[in-house]
Amino acid sequence: MTVQTMVQTIARTLDQEMARDERVVVLGQDVGKRGGVFLATEKLFDTYGPDRVIDSPLSEAAIIGAALGMAVHGLRPVAEIQFSDYVFPGFDQLVSQVAKLRYRSGGQFEAPLVVRMPAGGGVKGGHHHSQSPEAHFVHTAGLKVVYPSTPSDTRGLLRTAIRDDDPVVFMEPKRLYRAVKEDVPDDPEFALPYAQAAVRREGDDVVLISYGASMAETLKAGDALAEQGVSAHVLDLRSLMPWDTTAVLEAVARIGRVVLVSEAPRTGGFVSEIAATIAEEALDQLLAPPVRVTGFDTPYPYAQDREYLPGPNRILKAVKRVLEY
Amino acid sequence: MIRDSQLFQPFNDEPISLIGETGAWEGPFDLDLDPAALRGMYHDLVVGRLMDERLSRLQRQGKVSFVAPSAGHEGAQVGLAHALERGRDWLFPYYRDTSLLLAFGLPQVEMLAQAMATRADPNRGRQMPSHNGSKDLNIFTIASPIASHVAPAVGAAISMKVQGTGQVAVASFGEGATSEGDFHAALNFAGAQGAPVVFFCENNRYAISVDYNHQTGADSIAAKAHAYGMPGYTVDGMDVLASYYVMREVIERVRNGLGPVLVETLVYRFGPHSSADDDSRYRPREEVEAWKRRDPLLRFRRFLEKQGLWDDAAEAHLRAEVEASLQAATAEAEAAGPIPVEWMFDDVFAQRLPHLEEQRHDLLD
Ligand SMILES: Cc1ncc(C[n+]2csc(CCOP(=O)(O)OP(=O)(O)O)c2C)c(N)n1
Ligand SMILES: [Mg+2]
Repeated sequence: MTVQTMVQTIARTLDQEMARDERVVVLGQDVGKRGGVFLATEKLFDTYGPDRVIDSPLSEAAIIGAALGMAVHGLRPVAEIQFSDYVFPGFDQLVSQVAKLRYRSGGQFEAPLVVRMPAGGGVKGGHHHSQSPEAHFVHTAGLKVVYPSTPSDTRGLLRTAIRDDDPVVFMEPKRLYRAVKEDVPDDPEFALPYAQAAVRREGDDVVLISYGASMAETLKAGDALAEQGVSAHVLDLRSLMPWDTTAVLEAVARIGRVVLVSEAPRTGGFVSEIAATIAEEALDQLLAPPVRVTGFDTPYPYAQDREYLPGPNRILKAVKRVLEY
Repeated sequence: MIRDSQLFQPFNDEPISLIGETGAWEGPFDLDLDPAALRGMYHDLVVGRLMDERLSRLQRQGKVSFVAPSAGHEGAQVGLAHALERGRDWLFPYYRDTSLLLAFGLPQVEMLAQAMATRADPNRGRQMPSHNGSKDLNIFTIASPIASHVAPAVGAAISMKVQGTGQVAVASFGEGATSEGDFHAALNFAGAQGAPVVFFCENNRYAISVDYNHQTGADSIAAKAHAYGMPGYTVDGMDVLASYYVMREVIERVRNGLGPVLVETLVYRFGPHSSADDDSRYRPREEVEAWKRRDPLLRFRRFLEKQGLWDDAAEAHLRAEVEASLQAATAEAEAAGPIPVEWMFDDVFAQRLPHLEEQRHDLLD
């Protein structure tokens, strides 16, 4: 075990995977000497050189498209998009090419690549450094989507993503990059499966479900509820495609009250998918309608950076609503 | 349609420069600017520099969350601003255009209010610092995604052409932006349409840490113009008069309906990419120091002194005057007060739709 922040874990996990498998290469803007603007690729350039740590021109279309070309030709690229907000110039490659290659080639070709991207707000970055675009990816058949919230999960899931034969969008909660340090397993084979939610707090009164960046606020709400004598069962989904329907439906069936938290905009957000699944599969076990606590349906604002986020107070209000229903 | 212009030849190997490092006029034609115009350019260079320093200071004090330092880019930017017609032409700038915006008429208080997100920001605190814009001044509000404003500039120019307004649109951007597909799509459309637009590249040789040679295999950014059927010029961007005279000729040509032009100015950013960057990780200090010796303010000041238009007293007076004006603008921007939380829900659409009304209510409740 080594104590690491999330962003340190990313760099060291990449290092472990590059050491193990020489097909693994890293590409993106500033990933070389600079070590990435967040230092998520720190020291890799020194260790592996310019053929395996490729500073790309400023084009997301080129990064994602070239990653696909590398993948079909035998490499295992891990592409970095500097902010998830900047995936859009590469969106066509991701949606039209990467996601559909296996399908449209009848399984002849595959796209074993990872597209990493820091996401989420709370960093005073305005709308182009704060968005949570996971719904776009989940809505695109053929992409797996992972969004961890802890250093250890990041290690285990990034490893799984790199070794996966399918393309994976790996979202990273940038406001948690350095927020916590924890013991991270050093074992170079430590990996975590998708679709296995983590129970962050055991409880009986209400289920709180979240993932990625919003886990921090959700856990704070869980703590605050405990002080008020309400025991929350807190689930961290960790991956969104595929996602752990079993853990969600079991918890909902047992407790009957559920609050879904995500800072992505409300309409069409991923938590709406969870709510719909709960409604279809567990309606008769519900004691109150599921309530979503989300970002607003506005572009992510600069001046109201904090207010936009679903913080503990808004979560507590929602919990009150489902408890008093 | 690539046609030579009068004074300057496109696709030049040596960057166009008119003032030597010592401040001597080296232009192949007679200077035709009066002392007031020359002093005005110097004024704008100093305003840009001192604003830049002030923004960084405010950032260190915690009053501004982020800055994109523009020191080193002033010569190119001020030259461009002086070649444009204020209130008539349109600018589609990017985040490192502090001097350009101010010299094009953006009030100092608006820039500072945008950076501090106070009510005096006409963009209502919606964006991070260094992302100004003003409808009144034909300054298209800056967006972070690189090169995303280039095609809009082309569209505005096509509209200008269709409506026969005689206006010109200018899009400015770094050399990194020329790698985005949107950049190429925009130039191609402009070329096909003969749109009255100038593409103004501020080539500072780095896109954050990625150096020029990792950005492109082309010898110059200007060379890219060729494929789109427009002239491309390479200009010494540390020379405000080179930027001014090239832009004056280019803009006249574009205004006369001869089609778009790409201008590459060679500049250098003296500071880090942004307040969040540590450029010592990728730029040798000697390189930075060597470029600082080519400071566009220093060079133009030497020129003015040689022309007998400037001395230490004038310098001291100007700096004091500009600092006082920036100080007053800072105070005014701060006094406007913070952006109210409920403003978050305005301007998503022309009218606030019911679901946003509900969300606003939920938050304020
Ligand atoms: C589409 C997109 N990708 C990535 C970024 C992150 N980013 C911000 S500035 C920058 C470098 C820009 O370099 P350049 O165009 O040369 O302009 P300079 O900053 O050097 O003036 C990058 C990669 C972005 N803003 N937009
Ligand atoms: Mg640059």
